[in-house]
Amino acid sequence: METVLVVDDEQGILEALADLLREEGYRVVTASHGREALERMLELRPDLVLTDWMMPVLDGPALIERIRADYKDGVALLGMSAVDVTNLRRQYPDIPFLQKPFDIATLMRQVRKALDAKRR
Amino acid sequence: MSSSEQPARLDARVSTGVPGLDAVMGGGLVPSGVYIVVGEPGAGKTLFANQLCYHQARAGARCLYVTLLAESHARMLANMRDMAFFDPALLPEGVYYVSGFRVLEEQGLSGLLELLRREVRNHNASILVLDGLVQAQEAAGNNRDFKKFIHELQVAAGLARFTALMLTSANGPNIHPEYTMVDGIVELRERTAGVRSWRELQVRKFRGSPTLAGIHAFRITHAGLEVFPRLEARVHRSPPPDPGAHRIHFGIHSLDALFPEGLAGGSTSLVLGPPGAGKTLMGSSLLAEGLRQGENCLYMGFYEPPNRLLSKVSSAGIDLKGAVADGRLNILWQPPAECILDVLADQLLSDIRKRKVKRVFVDGLSAMQQAAPDNSRMGSFFAALTQELRCEGATTLFGLETPRLFGPVLDVPMEVGPSAVAENLFFLRHVEYEGRLRRLFSIFKLRDSDYDPTLREFVITRQGIEVLPPFSVAVDTLLTGLARHPGSGHS
Repeated sequence: METVLVVDDEQGILEALADLLREEGYRVVTASHGREALERMLELRPDLVLTDWMMPVLDGPALIERIRADYKDGVALLGMSAVDVTNLRRQYPDIPFLQKPFDIATLMRQVRKALDAKRR
Repeated sequence: MSSSEQPARLDARVSTGVPGLDAVMGGGLVPSGVYIVVGEPGAGKTLFANQLCYHQARAGARCLYVTLLAESHARMLANMRDMAFFDPALLPEGVYYVSGFRVLEEQGLSGLLELLRREVRNHNASILVLDGLVQAQEAAGNNRDFKKFIHELQVAAGLARFTALMLTSANGPNIHPEYTMVDGIVELRERTAGVRSWRELQVRKFRGSPTLAGIHAFRITHAGLEVFPRLEARVHRSPPPDPGAHRIHFGIHSLDALFPEGLAGGSTSLVLGPPGAGKTLMGSSLLAEGLRQGENCLYMGFYEPPNRLLSKVSSAGIDLKGAVADGRLNILWQPPAECILDVLADQLLSDIRKRKVKRVFVDGLSAMQQAAPDNSRMGSFFAALTQELRCEGATTLFGLETPRLFGPVLDVPMEVGPSAVAENLFFLRHVEYEGRLRRLFSIFKLRDSDYDPTLREFVITRQGIEVLPPFSVAVDTLLTGLARHPGSGHS
């Protein structure tokens, strides 16, 4: 079973994403900001980190930077933001982004795609 | 003393970016102040706070927007996306959104305060918005803890030099006593009477400078919030300039002959009359003469759209089209439904100031009155409006429709006496006389000028208005609309 770490400071979104991904058959762990996410990753290595961009304590860009530095053998990354992600895609061309708000089908498709890309 | 040691300057205000609101607040928010914006759901609090953030971010400031509510940032941004002030390029550097909901749930007010302090520092924010103060209040076990939270936020704002805006739901007409600790309280309201609703803003408290007191209208459009400070609160306190010898005429020889000295420059006049009596033509004549004298003029109307008006007056020999085309005459046309009184005053005075307008005709005083949800205000409003018009040196004629076409009773549909609006009173009336319906002109009152008090018939021809000589035989009761020769016993 693949593990997805969902990181979002908005509690409602965090819980909704976790429920959806669990229903889809993933193991899900959650964190409400980047630092909490790094703590979770010490306990359980996820296959995919699905992270929001604007968060307190440690934001999305800082979390991505730390994951890339500490997990060089690769963890699939998928960003999401309410901010227009066109600019983020330009700044981080190797990371796929979900534009909030998104629908369930788009979420599942992007999660699958990110995990498949990591396996290859 | 280094720049960081400089005390916060009260005169360098934080502009809200909401047109009209800075004027209400005496210049804007005081830097490092903590403010509460209170209002019912849908009152416009979130929109206001976002408008302020994007305005500040556009000027280079960094803003932190912390939510404690269920509405997601994505939904909030989606709602902002069509607003003119919204600029996605300012995200996330200029405006940064985080949720404090979970921290508040898990760590209470102390955790929330720590989050606010830390995130303001991390983002070097000079503006902090806390959206959902009511959640923090509920999380506080008691009033003392909530007061302590506000006090500590005030201390943090002073030390870290950020200005905080806390948004919270209204709790009836009263403001929580705990809120009085803050530097300012702005209340947004939506009121309803019958099927009509309107928005109001009131600064309930403001430290640091005087504010424009009372209740001010605001509206929400594609541009965001726009506040229209109450006219009475911003009226010139000094007396209007002396018009001197400047006199105003209508440019109609037979009419001007009734008061050869003309109207005093900068005076206000009222022409009363039933529908079709000739008020619009009289006002248009006043403007046409002003245009001939090289003056800029303004027509504010509520009923006839500009094209219809121009065509109507043209058929009576008054050609205003050229003046409209070259900008010497502005036609401000407002459909009478759902107008805001202070918006009308603002439009009127803005154009007068901008184009240095010297003659104004307001065709439809009753539409202006209907724009006020509260009639008790009319006396002070018109006193303020006429004071402003005089200060601008704009000679103004108001047209007011009387409801009765004929009959012995004269109804003046005004909440205040006509003298509150005008120094000069003209009256137009239909009168049935010798088997014909005629138009009658009379002067009720003319300040500082002699006038012919006789009742005169006037006609409207393709050359305009023409006032006829006095009736050759005595006619009684002309003003009732049902004239009769004395002693004839019949009308």
